Amino acid sequence: MVHPANETGLLNLPYELDKRKRIILGELKERTLWFIRLRWLVPFGIVVGTVLARWVGVGVRASPLLWAAGFILAYNFVFFLLSRRVKAEPSEKEYIEHFTYWQVGFDYGTMFLLIHFTGGIASPFIFFFIFHITFSAIFLPRRSTYSFAAIAAAGMGMVALAEYMGWIHHHAISFQGRAIDLSQEPFHMMVILSFFAGFVFITGLSITAVMRMLEKRILDLAELTETVTALNEELNTLHTMTQAIVSKQHLEQLLHIATAELAKAMDVQAISVKLLSQDGKFLRYAASHGLPPDFMDRVVELEKSPLNRRVIEGEPFVTGRVTRREWFQFGEDLSAARLQSVQFVPLIVEGRVIGILGAYSTRPEQFGPHELVFFRQAAGLVAIAIENAQAYEAIENLIQERSRFMNRVAHNLRAPLAAMTSMLEVIREGYLGDLNETARKYLTRVDRRVQGMLLMIDELMSLAKSQSKQPEMECGPLNLETIASRIQKNFQEEVAKKRLIFEVTVPEDLPEIRGDSDMIEQMFENLISNAIKYTPEGGRVGMTFWRGPNETVRTVVSDSGIGIPKREMPRLFTEFFRASNVQDAIGTGLGLAIVKEIVDKHSGQIEVESEEGLGTTFIINLPVAQRRIV
Amino acid sequence: MATKGEILLVDDDPDLRDSLQIILEKKGYSVRTAANGHEALEALEVRRPDLMILDIMMTTETEGFDLAYEVKSRPGIEDLPIILLTSFLEKVREEGPDKFQHIMGKTWPAKWLFEKPVDTKKLIAKIEGILAGG
Repeated sequence: MVHPANETGLLNLPYELDKRKRIILGELKERTLWFIRLRWLVPFGIVVGTVLARWVGVGVRASPLLWAAGFILAYNFVFFLLSRRVKAEPSEKEYIEHFTYWQVGFDYGTMFLLIHFTGGIASPFIFFFIFHITFSAIFLPRRSTYSFAAIAAAGMGMVALAEYMGWIHHHAISFQGRAIDLSQEPFHMMVILSFFAGFVFITGLSITAVMRMLEKRILDLAELTETVTALNEELNTLHTMTQAIVSKQHLEQLLHIATAELAKAMDVQAISVKLLSQDGKFLRYAASHGLPPDFMDRVVELEKSPLNRRVIEGEPFVTGRVTRREWFQFGEDLSAARLQSVQFVPLIVEGRVIGILGAYSTRPEQFGPHELVFFRQAAGLVAIAIENAQAYEAIENLIQERSRFMNRVAHNLRAPLAAMTSMLEVIREGYLGDLNETARKYLTRVDRRVQGMLLMIDELMSLAKSQSKQPEMECGPLNLETIASRIQKNFQEEVAKKRLIFEVTVPEDLPEIRGDSDMIEQMFENLISNAIKYTPEGGRVGMTFWRGPNETVRTVVSDSGIGIPKREMPRLFTEFFRASNVQDAIGTGLGLAIVKEIVDKHSGQIEVESEEGLGTTFIINLPVAQRRIV
Repeated sequence: MATKGEILLVDDDPDLRDSLQIILEKKGYSVRTAANGHEALEALEVRRPDLMILDIMMTTETEGFDLAYEVKSRPGIEDLPIILLTSFLEKVREEGPDKFQHIMGKTWPAKWLFEKPVDTKKLIAKIEGILAGG
């Protein structure tokens, strides 16, 4: 495998790391905005705290505190306005961090003021430093945490020192008149100061230590999620491709779907399918997604393309940088399209290479071992798809060929019979001279046999057609009343000739059925024609429609004919079956086989009841056409 | 003897052609015959008949259609009534309706198309209808 530049391979590392950092950065952004929301409460808290403190008898100067509250309100408002920009833009890491540092700076300044006005080192406000340290330990670089802790400790030391030395005025607080004043207690101040310093550093240290672990976990989790998402997408792609293959689409359509799906799943610029010519000398583009359109007309000569030749020999090719032009016959075009990474794998059917599946990316080093494994799986599917589609097309051609053949056979069988019929007519009608009665009778018998043969050819053709043309059934809602009246008209003459009573009953609210109108009509025609044929003169033939159970329409075709012998009933619907009691009538034994075929195709059922000498009844149930809800 | 009209019968099957000729002549028509498109065109050049009966599938599968198309494009005979014959209606039904409509100017299914073996009574009735209608 050629893998020149990307030895380490799995991921494009700088890109991946950057992506990971963004997760933490996003969190920081969100928290810093949250801090602004939280800060709105601070001035309110100061006011309430001051009032409460004075109410319980704490002696503290209110005005500086209220000024501080106002100041916080003011700068938080400024930060709030700035935060909108932070929210809207996909901000830079530095910008967000600086935004946070400025907030911390203002918070610290105000805090030192508050502490100064509420008793210096004795102020309860010193605990509030913990917020910023915790926050920075979680979201900001570690040095920020230690800097914050150091500033807090040093700042407090400065305040204590300045007040102790008398450089600034000390505002002691008092409770019920008794001052709580540590400014003149150096030991106590030192103890509080050092414990405070220890407290902030230990807090910072422990949280950053925990965060280091958590951060790793977060990254692992993010990476895992990403891997799962990617795998899921790959699976989806394979699934979509499989679906396309199973749906028996045309090769072109199918490859179009496959290439588009692969490009999406692999996040690449282009995918191509090249197929090997019969003689194995050329590769032609069978499909591509994302390549310039003129690529489709190109022919790759294996002779001139050692790279493609190697893939055809079964070896995949991967490169992260399309620099060595001599590898590619159309290298210039690849560079022009700014394609940098290329991956080619062979398409193999039954151990034979039939073409090449290629992926092209504008990013360098896009394809690693994982991508190769996936791409080879995809190539397996594409190869199956091509094989399937080709097989399917071959079958379609075969079916068409068969249909053409059948038509020719039918034509060639019918033509001589037709000529015979006409010649018989010429003789029988006495156009060539007089005939005696016996000769005429015999000629009539010959004619009947010829007619029988013609009928058999027609029915064989019709049966062959109904068995081979499954996908071409043109189904639609059918009005049975129309069909029934047409059939009644068609048989009028025959019915009259035999002086039969032919009754057709169609209820007014009969629902439509779903089916192919030609087939359904032929089905009824066959049944009625049989009924008429096998019913003696003066008999009765009926066709009645009902609304059947379970959303069906029931048709009953009955006659008062010769009936079917009991023992022959099981073979009734088989091809070439003729009941033993019908020798006189012309027939082929294909009519009922066709009827059964049509009923089956329409998901219907057919039953028959018959009593020899009394008549036969066919009962057919066909599903009602579903009203389509739009 | 004055005939009821002159018919040009074009069919490549001599048995059928001869029989049909006898039947039509007995019914009082004068009949000329041709075995293929070429002969038919020659016959048409000699004299315009009143009607042409034409088999669709002769040497080639569409020779009859081709001839009909040729006739429809020739001045002087473009309005010649044509009755088509076929040995296998199903085949024409599958492949020919468009061609048929184009040549005959009539929609499918047409009463001007007969399947062999020809029902002579219906054919004669049709011929009489056409010739009477002008």
